[in-house]
Amino acid sequence: MSTFEALRGQLLDAAEAFSGGRDALSEILAGMVDDVDRMLREELEIFPVCHHSPASALAMTRRLRERRPKVVYLELCEDMRPLLDELRNCRLPVALQAFATRLDGFPPGSGPLSVVAPVTEASAEYQAIAYALDTPGVELVLVDRSVDHVFQWLPREQAGPAAAGESADEPEQEEEAALHGDAVGVEIGDLRPRFAELEAHLLHHGKVRHWSEWWDQYVEQPLTGADYDTYRQAMALIGSLFRRLRPSSDDRPAVDEERERYMWTRIREHLAESGADPADCLYVCGAFHAVSRVAESGLAAGAASYAVTPRTATRWLYGLIPSSHSAVEAQFGLAQGSVSIAAATWAKAAERGGLKPYRLQGQKGGRTRSKAAKPAPPAAREPAADRLSGFLATPPELDGLDEDELRGWCVDIVRLARRNGYLASTADAIAVFETSILLAGLRGRARPTPYDFQDAAVTCIEKDVVPGRRDVRRLCEILLGGDRIGQVGYDALPPLARDVYDRLEPLEIDPGRRTQQRVLLDLVADPGLVPCSDLLWRLRYLLPDGAVRPIMGTRRLGERPIQESWDLAIGRHQRSIIELGYEGVTVEQVLEQRLRRKVREPRATAGDALAAVEDAVVYLGGRRLADELGERAVELLAAERTVDDAPEVLRRIRRLLAHYRAAGPDLPAWCEAFVTAGYAHYCTLLPTALTDDDTGVRQVGAMLGFLFSMESLALSLGCERAQLELAVRQSHPEAPAKVALLWAAETQLGLLPRQELRARCEELLGNPLVVPAFPLYLSGFVQALEPVPGLAPFVVEVLSKAFARLPDPVLLPWLPTLITTLRRQVPELVPVLVREAGRTFPGGLTELDAWVPPWERPAAPARPARGAPAPGGPVTGLLVRHPQACDAVAALLGCSGGWAAGDGPEPRDTQVKELLARHPATAGAVAALPAGL
Amino acid sequence: MTNEMLRAPAEVKYAEELDWLESIDDGPKPFSWRLSPRMVRLFVLGSERSDGLDREIPQKWFGDRGFVERSIVTLASDRGLLLIGDPGTGKSWLAELLSAAICRNSTLVVQGTAGTTEDHIKYSWNVSTVIAKGQSRESMIPSPIMTAMEQGVIGRFEELTRSTSDVQDALISILSEKYVSIPELDTDNTVFAKPGFSIIATANSRDRGVNDLSSALKRRFNFVRIPVVTSKASEAEIVRFRTTELLRRHRIELDLPPTLLDILLQSFADLRAAAASATSEDEKLESALSTAEQIGVLEDAILHSHFFGDRALRAETLAGALVGSLARRAPEDLAILNKYWHGVVEPRSKKDGGEWTDFLEGGRQAISTLS
Repeated sequence: MSTFEALRGQLLDAAEAFSGGRDALSEILAGMVDDVDRMLREELEIFPVCHHSPASALAMTRRLRERRPKVVYLELCEDMRPLLDELRNCRLPVALQAFATRLDGFPPGSGPLSVVAPVTEASAEYQAIAYALDTPGVELVLVDRSVDHVFQWLPREQAGPAAAGESADEPEQEEEAALHGDAVGVEIGDLRPRFAELEAHLLHHGKVRHWSEWWDQYVEQPLTGADYDTYRQAMALIGSLFRRLRPSSDDRPAVDEERERYMWTRIREHLAESGADPADCLYVCGAFHAVSRVAESGLAAGAASYAVTPRTATRWLYGLIPSSHSAVEAQFGLAQGSVSIAAATWAKAAERGGLKPYRLQGQKGGRTRSKAAKPAPPAAREPAADRLSGFLATPPELDGLDEDELRGWCVDIVRLARRNGYLASTADAIAVFETSILLAGLRGRARPTPYDFQDAAVTCIEKDVVPGRRDVRRLCEILLGGDRIGQVGYDALPPLARDVYDRLEPLEIDPGRRTQQRVLLDLVADPGLVPCSDLLWRLRYLLPDGAVRPIMGTRRLGERPIQESWDLAIGRHQRSIIELGYEGVTVEQVLEQRLRRKVREPRATAGDALAAVEDAVVYLGGRRLADELGERAVELLAAERTVDDAPEVLRRIRRLLAHYRAAGPDLPAWCEAFVTAGYAHYCTLLPTALTDDDTGVRQVGAMLGFLFSMESLALSLGCERAQLELAVRQSHPEAPAKVALLWAAETQLGLLPRQELRARCEELLGNPLVVPAFPLYLSGFVQALEPVPGLAPFVVEVLSKAFARLPDPVLLPWLPTLITTLRRQVPELVPVLVREAGRTFPGGLTELDAWVPPWERPAAPARPARGAPAPGGPVTGLLVRHPQACDAVAALLGCSGGWAAGDGPEPRDTQVKELLARHPATAGAVAALPAGL
Repeated sequence: MTNEMLRAPAEVKYAEELDWLESIDDGPKPFSWRLSPRMVRLFVLGSERSDGLDREIPQKWFGDRGFVERSIVTLASDRGLLLIGDPGTGKSWLAELLSAAICRNSTLVVQGTAGTTEDHIKYSWNVSTVIAKGQSRESMIPSPIMTAMEQGVIGRFEELTRSTSDVQDALISILSEKYVSIPELDTDNTVFAKPGFSIIATANSRDRGVNDLSSALKRRFNFVRIPVVTSKASEAEIVRFRTTELLRRHRIELDLPPTLLDILLQSFADLRAAAASATSEDEKLESALSTAEQIGVLEDAILHSHFFGDRALRAETLAGALVGSLARRAPEDLAILNKYWHGVVEPRSKKDGGEWTDFLEGGRQAISTLS
């Protein structure tokens, strides 16, 4: 006969009375009792838990002390087992993480995959872990599916309430709530109604605001002091209730049942391998799984009935990352502050009950490890009596009012509120005290819960505006436990993170501190800090914004740092550093990989590759990687079919060439290849680019800039100027701006004399049909300053003429375009234009009246070709005496003509002559040079 | 008696229900309260099966349970209660219900305006009696607040922030010392508040900055902020509840088609979303788009249909009432409504058809008439 026969009868009668017959209700009620009965009869002791439940943790501690099992089976991904040993090096809460970037067997583009399993101190699973790891002879076995299976089964697994987590209001909180990134969370003991209507119903009738409050009031408090059998039966009953009341459309049950089969299969396998006695084992799982009804559940089920599917070939990396209470709340959709409140409740309940919780040896943070209680002889497992009937029939025994505790809270909240800008006073503390008790009374409890206290504090202290960053509700959360942020200890860090910590040691910072730390690096006075500076720049490149931030100092090509100052928030970004550790063993290796990946991406352009080269030179130094990336840049450039990237390419290659020329005598081979390839590439694309409407003027300007400014280097490397000349001749643009660019290019190449260019412009200005388009030509000339800087006087001239002669309706609408073009696209050319304008226009108003623009001045009479008299003096004398050198040079250049007879100095040369006469030493020394040779 | 009043106060309207609740109430009652806090909550929020009552108590105020609980415990404490929120969120209705439930008197009300003086809060004199008999308690006219003090009941102060700061500050001593001195009298010159006295004030959060409360007064009030109802289900419930009441008051028998209620709720939700994303005041309707506004629109439409229509509510009439209520500023509001009608209602009428088509037509006509 079943233990619960009486209860079953009672429930069936109730169902019949309620619905007038045997139907689904009676089936559910009787089924729930059966579920609990089946769990109790299982040979292996099942311990049902709920996440972040102090009652679960307390019951677990009591049971472990009492029973001392030799094997603990835990519902946690089996491949995370090695991480558990590292927990002792961390300050909780931390999260076990599995991370995969190189996917094999999952749809492409679904990575990177990340799974986190947070571990908090106030949890039953931590108690089990701490007991198992620190007790000799006890084995801890994780039995849940591997993280690989989490993703294999994910398409069927719907994101649960976690996806609908409450959004945090404050930026500070958001940052802490985002500690897990976008990882998928797994947790032991997910126990929550599976459909919204049931939860809404429970909240409504429980007269509470959110699920955490309901749980606290109806399960947590009554079970905190309950004996083990009551706890176990009540938890299993709740698990069974949620299991039976779930929507049929939900996909999760399939995954849950698959997991249950998996776990029981693993347990059976382990028992068979180790030969352990099931009576010495404890199986810790969520209450939902404790009442599993799959055929494979229980030790009595067939051993080979379930085949575990193989994992994919994806390579998983494992580590610990810091977590926080708010991150756990955000991940699993719990109310804000509920995990903190649970932690505070756990600490208090453990103290009140005189219980010594298990704690890993060497565990950081929190209170020091209490001395382990002397182990009592293991209690024998006795058949459980029916505790459910009593539990369900009697109202829960609620705690009495703890005046001291409430008074402490009231005083503290007022103090905290004052510090946060509220005009709170002692009178408010009294009011909060009174209101808390009244509210609790109204809600039917003698002892105000933290939620009652929170409501009372909001009522009495919160006024019409929030004076600071935090409102009273948030202050209450801080007061009642505050958000706790974990930290991964040095020994549990991956090699890369340890390396970073070691290398930053000379800076004498505390890498664990979560606040910003300012460091000053005087690199001249202490050259030993240069490696630290290098590392910080690399970290800045790799880590998210805000982790390391330079306040003073830059790192660019060709610059040598003298002093730097940094704001470091390494502690706050520990997760990012740990995740870098999944990519490599040193920061440099990760940086190299990232740069390589950047240039190998399918959408990479030559500009991206040059940027990567620049980053490699700046952050890593050395030529090896830069050369490799540069070669890739050459390939990318040759393969490009558009010139959209030309301005970027020109800017970067100019900078890199300047750097390499300053750094050493030889250019790297890839630079030479890039210039020759670029010369040929842009020559080829020039005619198309000039006629193609989709190619902008700026791009064509940059192409011409490349061709002209790299010309000497390209020609020296074997390129032919004829190719460029041909390309220009083949170009027949129609857009006015591009026409102007082409004219500028022809002028540069000597194909179009300046006078003719001027005449063409005059013609345009004189033609009333073309005048409206003239500003477009001007835009082209402005862009032409980049490839043909010598055109600056002419551009000033054309601009001046345009300002003088263009009608206002044409000129004025164009002016904003001119200004924005100059500011955005060619800011470096503005000084050239301004300088040229300064040279052209008079500096003062007085000169303006008499000023005639240079282009309107009558042309100076051409000097007779041979009219220039040869100046006299020792230099002339020297050249006349030794004419062979000059003759040879003249012959080389193909100049014909002979030496002019010295006619004596012209009158205008008298000044030079006088100068030489006053200081003869220089001329004498030069004259003496040949003699000395 | 209710038949002789255009609008009966809550204690009159629900007198029978209050009597019944009082008869079964065995909970502890603070001061001279007529009902225990739990019964007050039950009266305001209505009963459920789980309460195990013999009769059903209908819900009268729709909103978060926590607001009502916080308000009740505030009144049981030493402080006044200030309900703050946007116009039309049900602050005054809640204040009235609480007063009615606690002391069966919700009519001791001072209306805060720019012209409210300290006399309205404390006392004034009947000039003719003063001339005839001199200053005495007999010739004194106590304010509603003073009457509430004398009787130990709840006094109400509507729109507290509309009155000037010096007038507001007259409440400080009333809330702290709980007495009012009458220096004009030589004897019997202090009115002490009896236990049970408290004040429920309401303030419009849109008036913030006009007459800000002093810090001293803020300290003496607990603030309960009532938010705008955003849940469509709750809003539908409120509109239905209030409209039924209005229909009863006007003795009109007219069915409220659920589709039209949906259209009204949806239109307000759309217009609220548009107002939330607007970047300047000109892009928002002047109306706060509160639930009370919806009730107003529906009331207009019902009255119009009843007296000028065929005694059935039509979508065209509803659209006309909506445009007429919301178009307050001639070019701006009409432009927004025009944009809404053509950008949202028109596509919806094409997609869903039915009542939306008539709604579109009615709105167009109303807008063109006003333009």
